[in-house]
Amino acid sequence: MSAAKWEESRVRGEVISHDVGANPPAPHLTSPRKRGEERLISRKIDMPNLFKFLIVALAGTALGLAVTYEGLQRGLAFNAVKAGPWTGAPKNGSLDIDPYARAMLARSGELPLGIAEGLSFIARTDSSGAVLRPRCDYDVSGSVPPTRYWTLTLVSPRGFLVDNPAKRFGFTSAEIVRAPDGTFDITVARQARPGNWLPLGNTQSFVLMLRLYDTLLDFGTTKLDATAMPKIVKGRCE
Amino acid sequence: MNLTDRFFSFLLYFAGIVLVAGVVHFASILAMPELAPHDSYARLSALAKPGQMVLLPTALPGHEITPFEDPALAQAVCLYDLSSGPLHLHAELEDPGLLTLSFRTRSGRVFYSMTDQAALHGTIEVRIMTAPQLEAVEENEDEDEPLQELRLVAPDMKGFVLVNALAAFPSERAEAEARATSISCSSETLARE
Repeated sequence: MSAAKWEESRVRGEVISHDVGANPPAPHLTSPRKRGEERLISRKIDMPNLFKFLIVALAGTALGLAVTYEGLQRGLAFNAVKAGPWTGAPKNGSLDIDPYARAMLARSGELPLGIAEGLSFIARTDSSGAVLRPRCDYDVSGSVPPTRYWTLTLVSPRGFLVDNPAKRFGFTSAEIVRAPDGTFDITVARQARPGNWLPLGNTQSFVLMLRLYDTLLDFGTTKLDATAMPKIVKGRCE
Repeated sequence: MNLTDRFFSFLLYFAGIVLVAGVVHFASILAMPELAPHDSYARLSALAKPGQMVLLPTALPGHEITPFEDPALAQAVCLYDLSSGPLHLHAELEDPGLLTLSFRTRSGRVFYSMTDQAALHGTIEVRIMTAPQLEAVEENEDEDEPLQELRLVAPDMKGFVLVNALAAFPSERAEAEARATSISCSSETLARE
């Protein structure tokens, strides 16, 4: 825009706004003494009204879409069931699913378990709250809520399996090696370990998924305790 | 215009922007299930035709159909379109392994789910229909006869049934696949009077 045109639009903007009375000075706020001063400022900030609407609409749309994008990226979770490092969303498997979870699932294509099928939990941190790091070993042990079967799977934060030479992507409750008293111990590590070894492959980041199939728990009424779920304890780090 | 005026005019613009942003945000969240191009239905319809049970490929690194799949599951899917008639699911369960079913709308919402524990005398018998189809069926029926099937009214015309069968050991995968595909799925046409 040329300087002359700019000057013209500025002047026009002032004229239009005064004609229409878009910004009449509030009488109780302006004294005659300040009129000159006011005109100087209003000439600087007044633009044609259409322009203002357009800017508000554009800025609003951009902000709204940015909030949607950020919200879906971060995975806002309402109605989540939390127990220690584990988070589950039982309502995602029913018609009561909230609109944010619906939008998120539609975008990712994920198919959550139906509420009568079971419930899946995700852990992005260890039991102390520190983010899971592939340079460290982790020990997953403790108890699992009463359920017909459960599986523990290692995936990338976006939900994809992590390749490894052992072709081991997870464990089911049936195949796991247990101590004589029935407790179990799974080691998540880069290097091979005796017992239940869940390999990390060459992933840069990972999360753990615990799925309870045909569980006896009713998540609508039961408050899940952290001790009812497996502990994730950090071991040695490289 | 003094400082207070400028503050209020700024506040007005700010309020306008926040209002528009709020409307756009909620509209985009609500529209996402209809607009997302790679939702689960789109991915599944590339693999299966309506009215038949199709085994999905095993989840392997780089070959997943959807994220957060359980590699221990054998999965099968049956897409349905109720505009031509109800969908009939039938299975005789033989082995006691875990089998779960979820009934979903086109946008992936689960409207019903069950496990093999809900089977009556080892049989799963389900009909998915629209509300008018259910009325038509009930009209032609003898009310004294006990119902031998589970009837579900689907919220949408289109959707899919996802079947999960757990391979408790890697060696049981073939059995799990057989269990998942043992459920037959067929579109029916309603008999007209």
